Amino acid sequence: MKIYRRVGTWVMFALVVLGSVGMSLLLYWVLPGERPSNWSVMQIESLFLMNLVMIFTVVKSADAVAGEFTQGTIKLLLIRPWRRSAILLSKYLSVLLFGLIMTVTVFVVTFATTVPFFGYTASPTDLMEVSDSNPWAYMGLWYLYRFITLVVIATFGFMMSAAFRSSGLSIGLSMFILFAGNLISDILAWMDKPFVKYVLFPHLNLTSYLGGGQGPLPHHPMTIGFSLGVLAAYFILFNVISWTVFMRRDVS
Amino acid sequence: MSQYPVVHLQDVTKKIGGKTIIDRLTLDVYPGEVFGFLGPNGSGKTTTIRMMVGLMSITSGDIQIAGHSIRKAFPQAIRHVGAIVENPELYKFLTGYQNLVHFARMTPGVTRQRIDEVVRLVGMENRIHEKVKRYSLGMRQRLGVAQAVLHRPKLLVLDEPTNGLDPAGIRELRDYLRKLAREEGTAVFVSSHLLSEMELMCDRVAIIQKGRLVDIRSIRRETEAANVTVLDDMVFEVDRPEEALRAIDGRASARVEDGVLIVTADRQTVASLNRRLVEAGFNVYGIRVRTKSLEDQFLEVTRGESVG
Repeated sequence: MKIYRRVGTWVMFALVVLGSVGMSLLLYWVLPGERPSNWSVMQIESLFLMNLVMIFTVVKSADAVAGEFTQGTIKLLLIRPWRRSAILLSKYLSVLLFGLIMTVTVFVVTFATTVPFFGYTASPTDLMEVSDSNPWAYMGLWYLYRFITLVVIATFGFMMSAAFRSSGLSIGLSMFILFAGNLISDILAWMDKPFVKYVLFPHLNLTSYLGGGQGPLPHHPMTIGFSLGVLAAYFILFNVISWTVFMRRDVS
Repeated sequence: MSQYPVVHLQDVTKKIGGKTIIDRLTLDVYPGEVFGFLGPNGSGKTTTIRMMVGLMSITSGDIQIAGHSIRKAFPQAIRHVGAIVENPELYKFLTGYQNLVHFARMTPGVTRQRIDEVVRLVGMENRIHEKVKRYSLGMRQRLGVAQAVLHRPKLLVLDEPTNGLDPAGIRELRDYLRKLAREEGTAVFVSSHLLSEMELMCDRVAIIQKGRLVDIRSIRRETEAANVTVLDDMVFEVDRPEEALRAIDGRASARVEDGVLIVTADRQTVASLNRRLVEAGFNVYGIRVRTKSLEDQFLEVTRGESVG
């Protein structure tokens, strides 16, 4: 309830919706001749907006616990008749729910704003990489992969949130990791060492498997299953850390 | 006073980094009493309160609330507790009412009617739908009390409740707490370093110093005092106190301290002593009761020990 009573949250939703409308208009205007299909426009917009959603979700997750500490309200939460684990779990679920709602919003909005401008194509020929498969299935999978990435990153932000008491610090650090991650995976992509397969960051780019790709690291062909496994391991690690830190902590 | 304590602290000890913050603290608080927890800054008041409400772990010993251990059965124990730890920190971006709804949802059995009732109780009907960021400290304190009593706790824990309140607000809070203790049988646990405040508010006061319990004493209430014959230290301001002492010698335990005549006597004796002194030609400038205030007692008990 608290997430949605804040003005900031609604500004985020508004940005997503407006961004989509704006981009559709822009692309319609700059591409007067051959119009791309609504699906490929939708993918471009989604790519952009999902990055935005990722930033928003990291902010929310990093703020979820640390914000309570900063405001001092954590004391009032913890003296309710619930175990600490229940409070942490509900915080975590609310963050995931926020991410899910945002993702669904992006999907719906990008679809709704591209169709009026570019028409609806049942079997697009210009959708990246795969022209033979069903566009709904392709976009669905694309969104699923992005959402898995989102969950892992939100978990990371949440861990930061539980570990640091100041929301400023945890938001800042999570954002830094989020952006540095892209850079790091670019660097890793050129390295020949075996350990790079186990570093978190390249695996956040799950969509590179779409259309029969070999994964994010050109020198290390991997399967989607392997990537998911690595992500799951990190996911568990992050959660274990947040849990133990939060359960042990003396609140002052 | 009921036989079963609401709160029972047994040898509670807290160590942080090898330093003992709280040392084997044992005390009981009973239903319907306002219990003061007094100590200089840094003596461990807030630490004790944090352990009582489960915000801090207890190094050794145990705290039981309504018979449930705060360590082993946290949800059952904390259910009976309402608290404000330090400042009433609430969600500033929500209205007062939304804050109450939020906390009510986290506690089973709190209805909308109860929320409205509590709002009336703390006298906030007019401003409850405003955002908390627009409240004054006094308003926030009231809202803090409101969230603490929502679920009708058996134990109300307040850490420095009068901080930042104006005299009228302090008085209101005091009256409210006494009413709560009297009418609902709530045990109220108040910490403070404001001695005079505790004197007015509490039935019993525990004094702690450097994490150790120094003393627990009952505070005599004025209502009780009026019915009993009490011997007070009466201060007579007279000229020539030494001669006056000789003039009344044998009548009462009298002595001269700091140039005034001090007599321990009841009211009747005081009147007759006064007559004698006047008739013997002494000038009596004033007679007053010298009560030993809690402050004196407090300083007496903690004298000579530095803080921290």
